[in-house]
Amino acid sequence: MKLKRIRIEQLRQFQHPLMVDNLQPGINVFTGPNESGKSTIASAIRAAFFERHRSSSVSDLQPWGDSSATPQVTLEFDWQDRHWRLEKRFLGRKRCDLEIAGVHYSGDDAEEQLADLLGFQHPARGASKAEHWGIPGLLWIEQGAGHELRPAVEHAADHLQSALGAGLGEVTSSGGDEIIQAVATQKAVFLTATGKPRGEFAKLPVQIAQQREELVGLETRIANYRQEVDRLSELRKQHAMDAREKPWQMLRQQQQAAEKALADVETLQQAQAVDQQALQSCQNTLILLREQLEAFQRQQQTLLQRQSAAQHAKQTLQALNEGNADINAEHQRAEKSYRQACHIAQQARQQEQAGRLLQELERLSRERVALDDRLEKAYRVQAELLEQRRALPCRRIDEPILDKLRKQHKQRDDLGIRLQSVATRLQYDILPDQAVELDGQALTMQGETLLLESGEMMIPGVGRLRIIPGGEDIGELSRRHRQLEEALKALFEQLEITSLAEAEQRMEVYQRLHIEIQANERLLSSLAPEGIDLLSQACESCKQQCETFSAQCRNSTVLAEEAPSLVDAEAQRTAAEQALKMAEKRQSDHQLALNGARRDAVNNDAELQRLQAELSAPDRQQRERELSQQLVEQRAEHASLEQRIANRQQRINAAQPVLLQQDVQRFARSAEQLEKAVHDRELALTELHSRLEAHSAEGLEEQRTECLLVCEQLERRYAEMQRRMAALSLLHTLLKEKRQALTQRLQAPLQRHLNHYLALLFPQASLSVDENLIPAQLTRTQTFGVEHGGLEALSFGAREQMGLISRLAYADLLREAGRPTLIILDDALVHSDAQRLEQMKRILFDAAERHQVLLFSCHPEDWCDLGVAPRDMQALKAAVNSPNLSITT
Amino acid sequence: MRLLHTADWQIGRQYGRFAPEDALALAEARFSAVERLARLATEQAVAAVLVAGDVFDAQTVSDRTVRRLFNAMQGFSGPWILIPGNHDAALAESVWHRAKRLGAIPTHVEVLLEPGVYAFPQSGIAVLAAPLTQRQTSADLTAWFDNAESPEGLLRLGLAHGSVQGQLADDIDSPNPIAAERAARARLDYLALGDWHGLKRIDERTWYSGTPEQERFKNNGAGQALIVDFEQSGQPPRVTAHQVGEFQWRQWQETLGVDSDIDRLIERLEALPAPAVLALNLAGDTDLAGHQRLIQALAEAEARHRSVQYDLSALRLQPTDADVAALDADGYLGDVIDELRAQQSLHDDEASRDALVLLAGLLRERLPQAASSAEESALGMGTLEREDNA
Repeated sequence: MKLKRIRIEQLRQFQHPLMVDNLQPGINVFTGPNESGKSTIASAIRAAFFERHRSSSVSDLQPWGDSSATPQVTLEFDWQDRHWRLEKRFLGRKRCDLEIAGVHYSGDDAEEQLADLLGFQHPARGASKAEHWGIPGLLWIEQGAGHELRPAVEHAADHLQSALGAGLGEVTSSGGDEIIQAVATQKAVFLTATGKPRGEFAKLPVQIAQQREELVGLETRIANYRQEVDRLSELRKQHAMDAREKPWQMLRQQQQAAEKALADVETLQQAQAVDQQALQSCQNTLILLREQLEAFQRQQQTLLQRQSAAQHAKQTLQALNEGNADINAEHQRAEKSYRQACHIAQQARQQEQAGRLLQELERLSRERVALDDRLEKAYRVQAELLEQRRALPCRRIDEPILDKLRKQHKQRDDLGIRLQSVATRLQYDILPDQAVELDGQALTMQGETLLLESGEMMIPGVGRLRIIPGGEDIGELSRRHRQLEEALKALFEQLEITSLAEAEQRMEVYQRLHIEIQANERLLSSLAPEGIDLLSQACESCKQQCETFSAQCRNSTVLAEEAPSLVDAEAQRTAAEQALKMAEKRQSDHQLALNGARRDAVNNDAELQRLQAELSAPDRQQRERELSQQLVEQRAEHASLEQRIANRQQRINAAQPVLLQQDVQRFARSAEQLEKAVHDRELALTELHSRLEAHSAEGLEEQRTECLLVCEQLERRYAEMQRRMAALSLLHTLLKEKRQALTQRLQAPLQRHLNHYLALLFPQASLSVDENLIPAQLTRTQTFGVEHGGLEALSFGAREQMGLISRLAYADLLREAGRPTLIILDDALVHSDAQRLEQMKRILFDAAERHQVLLFSCHPEDWCDLGVAPRDMQALKAAVNSPNLSITT
Repeated sequence: MRLLHTADWQIGRQYGRFAPEDALALAEARFSAVERLARLATEQAVAAVLVAGDVFDAQTVSDRTVRRLFNAMQGFSGPWILIPGNHDAALAESVWHRAKRLGAIPTHVEVLLEPGVYAFPQSGIAVLAAPLTQRQTSADLTAWFDNAESPEGLLRLGLAHGSVQGQLADDIDSPNPIAAERAARARLDYLALGDWHGLKRIDERTWYSGTPEQERFKNNGAGQALIVDFEQSGQPPRVTAHQVGEFQWRQWQETLGVDSDIDRLIERLEALPAPAVLALNLAGDTDLAGHQRLIQALAEAEARHRSVQYDLSALRLQPTDADVAALDADGYLGDVIDELRAQQSLHDDEASRDALVLLAGLLRERLPQAASSAEESALGMGTLEREDNA
């Protein structure tokens, strides 16, 4: 399709007709500033095709403020070697005329021709919208819409599908998806989305398994039932045989024979038992008899023993009586010697006492002498002490006072010396008749006086001389001297002495006496530590004691003979006491033995007499003889019995009663066993029969048949379902596979064209296409590796570039399918950088080799290298204003 | 002097291979067959009905089944003379003992549980009965007939259950043998036999009556009973078969090649007397249109007959271009059809055939002139099943 000429009149800013002529088959660039009318040309082309001429909703096509205008577009183009001329007027004088190679269509007919040609739809009413635009909507890119691809492709989908399908010589399925959906729905009855059985299809295997299990159970029971029926018939057969043959009767006869033999033996055994009892009683009698005879003999022996015992007792008694006197004498001797020993011991004690008194007396005497001596000494010392104490100065001078005295004395002496040395020395040598008085005292002769203070010298006739000592503070010295003098004097008075020497002497006397007193005091205290009075008392008491003891000594009887020592005497006394005690014991023992012997003698005599009486009883002999006779008889009886028992035992042993007993038991038990077996069998028969009756009433086989019936029906249904499911699965898989294959076949050419353009932009990149033929995934080889991404993730500029590439690819595809292609780019690629724009221009140039392209741009400098001269809108409009001028390039 | 000879009633038999309602009806038919026998006996005014064993299908059928059987025999006042067969042998405990305990056996029914000669002077017959007292025996239970005495003046009839030796196909149970010449050797006027479910003449005096109600797909004369006429003393009886069975069991094997084969099959289906039990195995090829016609005809037959079971697994579906065009299967749907067709002929694959039918059905539904939905349901959950001979 080659657009040749566009004429626009009364349409938006083109109040006056605008004619665009000589359009090239390849690229055509229109440039101009904003609002110069580029987009109006694009809109006019759209309106000419899309809007119905009768539409009243296209008033936006009218120039501003001119509601009476009739927007008019005339297009002329070639398609398939035919010339098409379309003239469309809106609103005012609505009209549509289409002339195809001389054939004229008008109105709706014309519009349908156009829609078929380009592949779009007219709106049922109102203005045409994007969803009606079909293929032109895809190829005619509006301002700022270059990046939005998906809606445009979707709106063109049907046209693309049919156009491309036809191009490929294929027919896409008009209802394939519906069929797939229907198959999926039917399949979903059997399987869940994840392929698991569901609903009845899932339950059936379980039900079948249950039914099969029940069937097996029933079959087992039937098999049991049949076995039992067989057993019943077997039992009946046996029972009948038993009833006929009665095998237990034979055994019963054998049992009876054994019982008879056993009874015979038992008779013998009873007789044997009687004899054995007789033998036993015979033996007992014998024992009794022997015991009685033995008793008689024992009595005789006892008598003899008694007699000898009596004899013995008498002898003992006699012996004891004889020893009686000795024992008593011995006792008396012991008593006597004990008394003696006691007396001697008494004496020894007295002697001991006296000795001790004497010794004490001696000691006291010695003590008394010592005490007296000490007392005497003590009195002497005491007297001495008294003397000394008297001699001791009444006024004692202590050492410190003496020291003080000495010190003051010395000070006074020192002061005196100093006074003398410093005092105004008044040496005088008075003429004898002359009297000179000093302070009232007459100075005579030669002399020297020391003036310690001012003095007035009266020299008669002369007057008075006042001498005042100067120099050092003699006054002071003299004052102190006087003070000391006074203090000294006071001390002397106090001490009642007159001089220091006296004090010294007194001190010495005192000290000497003091030492002597101390010595004597110590002596005294050693002599009489508790004082003289006590000492004298002690002397007195000692003296009294001495007197007392000496009196005692004198009083104590002088013993005739010398007594032995107390220790020896005590020992002798103890020995005597011991001896006495032994003698006493012997005496009492003897008495006891004597009494015992006497009693024994009496008892023995009594017993002896009793025995003698018994033995000499008259019937005793008689009785003993009888017993002996009986003994002989019983022995004979015993022997005969033994013989008889032995004989009979032989017979019994020969008959073997134990074996006979066992035989009886054996036969009896065997018979019982058989009888019991028969009985049991009868019971079992009855029991089995009733059980079988019960079981047969259950109708097991009928149940089994019914169960099998259900089982088979379930299995058949399951098989049918499986079969249907298999068919559905197969169909579903196949439908999807084929659909996929077809989609891929359809996509292949588009893919090829896409990759052709893409290689110019991104070498080694590829763009995948989804099943709606929309480019979806871009794969690029970058420096760091392969990059995948959806188109939506790309930048605005890149998306616009991809959008253009895709549209060019669709255009190639449509062209191959023999469909008209016209590409209109209104202000495209404004977001591309210089480098990309270069590449995109190469792409556009390449596409323009096959398609007519109308490109509108406000950047003429960008598009000057496309090999065509851009048409300037201003120039076009200028041509409008001078309508005679035809615009050419 | 006329007798009715029947056998192998197999009361209590169930049919697992059929749909539940069909199975029930077929089980019921065994009782109604007995009623029809009673009616036949009455109509023919027979002296007695001889039942040669296998009256019950199993020993332990339910009490109700036992009672129902004897109730079904009310239509003929007797005597009915029954012996046990291998299915209902007179074991130590058997269905017969139970029937007696239940008091279900009416007085006009004689069950001969022990071998022996039983005289029925009122009917003018003496029956030498050889009942089975074991499930199986390898001895000829009729051997004693040869030397058995029977009252003078009464017809001497043998009644036995087993397989006559040398006469029947090898695949029949060979236990319970019966000598082929027993009737002659034992001087029997007639030997009534059971066990073989088809109608069979062994010799002029020895017959298998077959089961009165068919229960297998075997065309051997089952479903009848014999009327035995003794017209002249000493002469062989005149034996005539009478239809008793309600359902004809038919098994057809067909190979379809051309369209007219389908026409012929449809004609046969339409001609089949109702009610029948039909098993149909089809092989060969058909196109979608032919398949649709076939399914239609089968659906109609199903409605008319007791049971129509068909196995189409060996029938290949070969859609023609016309089929595909008619289905308007454009785009990849056409590919799918081609693929399924290829798979089918390659593997003889059941799933692809089914899938093809399914797809055809779905496509047809989409057509403005929507096809009948019968075929779809027939294909879907219908009785698509491979038959096997019971």
